[in-house]
Amino acid sequence: MKKSKDPFEIAFEEQEESPPESPVGLDENEPQTSAGPSVNLGGDFDANPIVHTTDPSTSLAVPLSVGTSGPIAKPKEDDEEEEEENMEVELGKLPSRGDPAKTAKMQEILAHFTADQMSRYESFRRSGFQKSNMKRLLSSITGSAKISIPMTIVVSGIAKMFVGEIVETAKVVMSERRESGPIRPCHIREAYRRLKVDGKIPKRSVPRLFR
Amino acid sequence: MSTGPFPKVKVGSSLPSEASLKRKRGMFQKDLHHMMYGFGDDANPLPETVALVEDIVVKYVTDIVHKAQDDATKRGKLFTEDFLFLIRKDLPKLNRCTELLSMDEEIKQARKVIWVDEEKLVSVD
Repeated sequence: MKKSKDPFEIAFEEQEESPPESPVGLDENEPQTSAGPSVNLGGDFDANPIVHTTDPSTSLAVPLSVGTSGPIAKPKEDDEEEEEENMEVELGKLPSRGDPAKTAKMQEILAHFTADQMSRYESFRRSGFQKSNMKRLLSSITGSAKISIPMTIVVSGIAKMFVGEIVETAKVVMSERRESGPIRPCHIREAYRRLKVDGKIPKRSVPRLFR
Repeated sequence: MSTGPFPKVKVGSSLPSEASLKRKRGMFQKDLHHMMYGFGDDANPLPETVALVEDIVVKYVTDIVHKAQDDATKRGKLFTEDFLFLIRKDLPKLNRCTELLSMDEEIKQARKVIWVDEEKLVSVD
């Protein structure tokens, strides 16, 4: 995990210093509930963040990974990539790709995160497959020693989103079975099966992982 | 399917192409730990769950690489574009990948500029 100053953190601190500019006149004291209606994320914000710490993050993560709210996903990915890449380069704030309004909305939401949500969100943004490991895996699969960096980046990105699909589907499975706690392998297997039915898993004529 | 201790050899090594592949156990364990938490799992995911997801991810990566290679056999070389072609139907992934790639380009350009500037500074002094 990189310990460098995350632009995302900078944005978060800046938000605290100055009063947030809220287009709808949000009340500082009110948590999620006010952020919910003013932001169209496509996912429901849980009104009670203290009780359901996992749900808001999941619902926040769902639009991002499913991509129904594509524009919102964009500016965040700027920050993540900037932070992922070599931090020796002082890039400062990269020009925001997406809508400045969307970025402002995002920062508004972030200001209202609880500590739990923030830590989960931080993990979501910062986590990734190590380039060296992925490179090694790719070269062992292809058989060629040289794997280009962009290829590692692309495959790591695809793999991360895939993990997201699995974990989120597994959470859905868990909620259907009304179970709680850490995800168990049986949930993962069911999630994998569902994704297969949806056609998200590349089909090959090879022995299946689960028989 | 048992969730007992995982073998050091990759699952599915009955295939001739993967028979010689010996993967270190828990190659992506740390990364997956944080990733799963970020995507909604408990702060401490179960080790067997992490191991299972790792197996799934490795299988997934293997499958898409093989698929990309199949499409690229005419050329003989594997290009990044082959992966992008594979996920063309999956819009979120495609958007994300194009985003990552253009970011990488930008950063490369930015680094070049900074390197050149430093050179100029040195020569001025």
